[in-house]
Amino acid sequence: MKIKLKRILLPLLGIALASSLAACGNNASTTNAADPVNSTNSAKPTNSAKSPLVIYTNSASDGRGDWLKEKAKEQGFELQIVEGGGGDIANRLIAEKNKPVADVIYGLSTMNYEEFKAQDMLEQYKPAWADEVSDGLSDKDDYFHALVKQAILMIYNSTMYDENTAPKDWPDLWNDEQFHNKYDAPRTGDLGGGTVQATLAGILVRYQDPNGEYGISQEGWDAMKNYLKFGFYKAEGEDFYANLASEKTPLGPMFSSGIASREQQYGVKAGIVKPEIGVPFIVEQAAIVKGTKNLDSAKAFVDWFGSAEVQTEWSKQFSSMPANNKALENAAQDIKDLEASVKQQDIDWAFVNKNINNWVEKIQLELLP
Amino acid sequence: MTMERIRKYVTLGNIIGLIIGLFLTWFVVAFLVYPNLNLLKAVFWVNGTFSIEPIQKLLHSTRALKSLLNSFILAVSMVVTVNIIGIFLVFVNEYFDIKGSRLLRIGYYTTLVYSGIVLVSGYKFLYGEQGFITKFLSNMFPFFPAGWFHGYWAVIFVMTFACTSNHVLFLTNAIRKIDFQTVEAARNMGASSFYILRRVVLPVLQPTLFAITILLFLTGLGATSAPLIVGGTEFQTITPMILAFSKSPTSRDMAAVLAIFLGAATLILLIFLRKIEKKGNYISVSKVKSEIQKQKIGNKWLNALVHVLAYLLFIVYALPVLLTITFSFTDAYSISTSTLSWSHFTIANYRMLFTEADAYQPYIISIVYSAAAAILVVALSLTVSRFLHKYSNICTTALEYAMLIPWLLPSTLIALGLIITYDTPRWILANNVLTGTMWILMIAYVIVLIPFTLRMLRAAFFAVDSSLEDAAKSLGASTFYTFRRVILPIVLPSTLAILALNFNSHLADYDLTIFLYHPLFKPLGIAIQNATSGQTTADTQALGLVYSVVLMVISTVTLYLVYGRKSKA
Repeated sequence: MKIKLKRILLPLLGIALASSLAACGNNASTTNAADPVNSTNSAKPTNSAKSPLVIYTNSASDGRGDWLKEKAKEQGFELQIVEGGGGDIANRLIAEKNKPVADVIYGLSTMNYEEFKAQDMLEQYKPAWADEVSDGLSDKDDYFHALVKQAILMIYNSTMYDENTAPKDWPDLWNDEQFHNKYDAPRTGDLGGGTVQATLAGILVRYQDPNGEYGISQEGWDAMKNYLKFGFYKAEGEDFYANLASEKTPLGPMFSSGIASREQQYGVKAGIVKPEIGVPFIVEQAAIVKGTKNLDSAKAFVDWFGSAEVQTEWSKQFSSMPANNKALENAAQDIKDLEASVKQQDIDWAFVNKNINNWVEKIQLELLP
Repeated sequence: MTMERIRKYVTLGNIIGLIIGLFLTWFVVAFLVYPNLNLLKAVFWVNGTFSIEPIQKLLHSTRALKSLLNSFILAVSMVVTVNIIGIFLVFVNEYFDIKGSRLLRIGYYTTLVYSGIVLVSGYKFLYGEQGFITKFLSNMFPFFPAGWFHGYWAVIFVMTFACTSNHVLFLTNAIRKIDFQTVEAARNMGASSFYILRRVVLPVLQPTLFAITILLFLTGLGATSAPLIVGGTEFQTITPMILAFSKSPTSRDMAAVLAIFLGAATLILLIFLRKIEKKGNYISVSKVKSEIQKQKIGNKWLNALVHVLAYLLFIVYALPVLLTITFSFTDAYSISTSTLSWSHFTIANYRMLFTEADAYQPYIISIVYSAAAAILVVALSLTVSRFLHKYSNICTTALEYAMLIPWLLPSTLIALGLIITYDTPRWILANNVLTGTMWILMIAYVIVLIPFTLRMLRAAFFAVDSSLEDAAKSLGASTFYTFRRVILPIVLPSTLAILALNFNSHLADYDLTIFLYHPLFKPLGIAIQNATSGQTTADTQALGLVYSVVLMVISTVTLYLVYGRKSKA
């Protein structure tokens, strides 16, 4: 029995040890310098210039993260990217506020940054390019600054509908029977997402009422109830655009920079609904985390990343709509067209930020079917 | 635990016991009690007052109550169905003489390497709207509804066949401990096969069956993937809602209330089964055990029926896995339409996985984390089980229940509790800060594995006959020597199985990992999530399958290394 035990356990331990050594070996040279939390004497400016910047973001997929790492390296920035869903990244940042791991945040949306600002988690800094961004997109107190605008659109399968037969605005979806069960509706697990929350906000703010529940009139809640009642709920693992292409749900919400790559992947062009009231725009921002040990290089990085030059390239690579006006001028024509053709819905984001969690909770508890 | 009570241990015997006891007390307080209490405080004491508002809100939500009810229905149904199928599998493998049982066993073992969302997707290839069986049936019967695999029955079907892993591993270990001479003796005295099963075989299996039943109940309450994929809007369960609530700062209190409620329900079942457990004696009588010989089923028709059922189950188990592997070599079109053709065959997905610059690193990181966590938690739980087996007093009972705390909270909240508690130096950790270090993830992995590990190990310890231990002691063996040479060999098969399962369970974890991973060490779960969701430049559906197949390979290798060679020996 003894021999057997050894035979079984030893290889296992061997593997564990060998691989842990391998992992250490890979990183041993960088660990101490890299770990902003563990390095005790990183207050020395000489050290901070060398240690990598830890970037938190929800916008690193589709090769964005790798592209950024590579370009930043050419400028002398060593980046470490922590990526995840927007809600998860925001929760992690808030949980870590007494002991921040991140140096810089980019992506997410204004709502998240308002929350970070309220919790005193951000460093005040005015980047070199701050004046190239239109008023109202960045924070007026210089805690965060706009990088990318996302229009939150209703799109449709253009082989099934055209401008005249497609819905004109969101309420058509639930008021007009022909669209029932034809549009993608948010499931329990989707309600934390940025696109979904902006869609919900875009509908609810039309019914603002100081005496209503969470600032929304009963009429508004009835509208929301109908929106959710007549929607189609895809199963876990199904993709909205795949369903749009297969005509299962030819209608649904989509963020503007996600359209081009999906059209290419599925070979189906998306039509864009342009409601008279406008569409919600969420703004991806950049900010420096308060308590960073790398303040100087964080500032330098934000100056570089938000610059017209880098944002132009970012836009060309990932079809984003730059908030930086100089970058927008140089962006691809279809992005400029989109920017010019859809009107921005007038939304009081401070009001939305104050209430959105309660709205989502009410939807979870009472309104979802 | 007060110092006086701990002192009692000293007078009772040994100083090592005291040290271990102190260590366990520290561990329980530092990692199970303190961070979770701290989190609950943050969640419930808003502005310095305790509020019962979350409970009222939940009671007013028909959706929440209905989902909760569905979860309980699922849990209770699963306890019945999985036990039936699971016991049948184990008897086919170990007790009855079935032709080709070696092949069958491979099919039955697939759930060990194949679980969660992948497994349910595998089922969709067969039973989904475009699935092979659906297409076959609708060809036979023109009006057969394509969306038939939906709702309660679909969920219970998937969950039943997905959750037999514990039976296949632990019940097998238990059945091998049956003393064959007792079976023979019973037969010689004229007992029927059924009587032998009921009075000789089942009692020995009872502690393991109880442990498995508790886990099944918990699994049913916590079901996520199956209801989300095949449940539809008519059969929603509570866990997706708990997960969503736990990620929203304003709704966290409700996540905690719901999770505690589910945990409490499980604890009640646990206490109830423990009461029954205490009354019984589960050690087979003989000290010189003879190995079990497979029983031929006497009745010809019954024998044929059991064979047919065994092979049918084999097909149910094997087909989804085979299809998952096959479809991992195709593209999104084939996957979404469940069609196979040579023109859509590709290995591009695999190539992409292994040619990326730092593609191999997440594997190494996750393997190291999972292996280390699995070994640590097993070592810890062995110690605790030994304590629980040896002593029975108020301290050990408290210890046992404290070890089950992680069942009371969703993993998101456990992660947040660790971050907000250890983001400043605390004396209990010798003023070390955990937030932002590479240790916090390891600790979290260990914490969430404790209840399962302890529960299964405790069941294994019931098979340890204390007279063996006494014999070793009276021959002059030291406590440690007795443990190593007498007790460990008896519980070793289950221990190794737990080790392997624990290792596999965190290889691709996302929920816990996203909050705790160190920027330098990106684990596999994060890499997979980022590669398969929100990504558009790649074929995400195919990539998802490819990752699953790779994980299945890793899990299979682990099982083989840890467990497979043993079972052959």
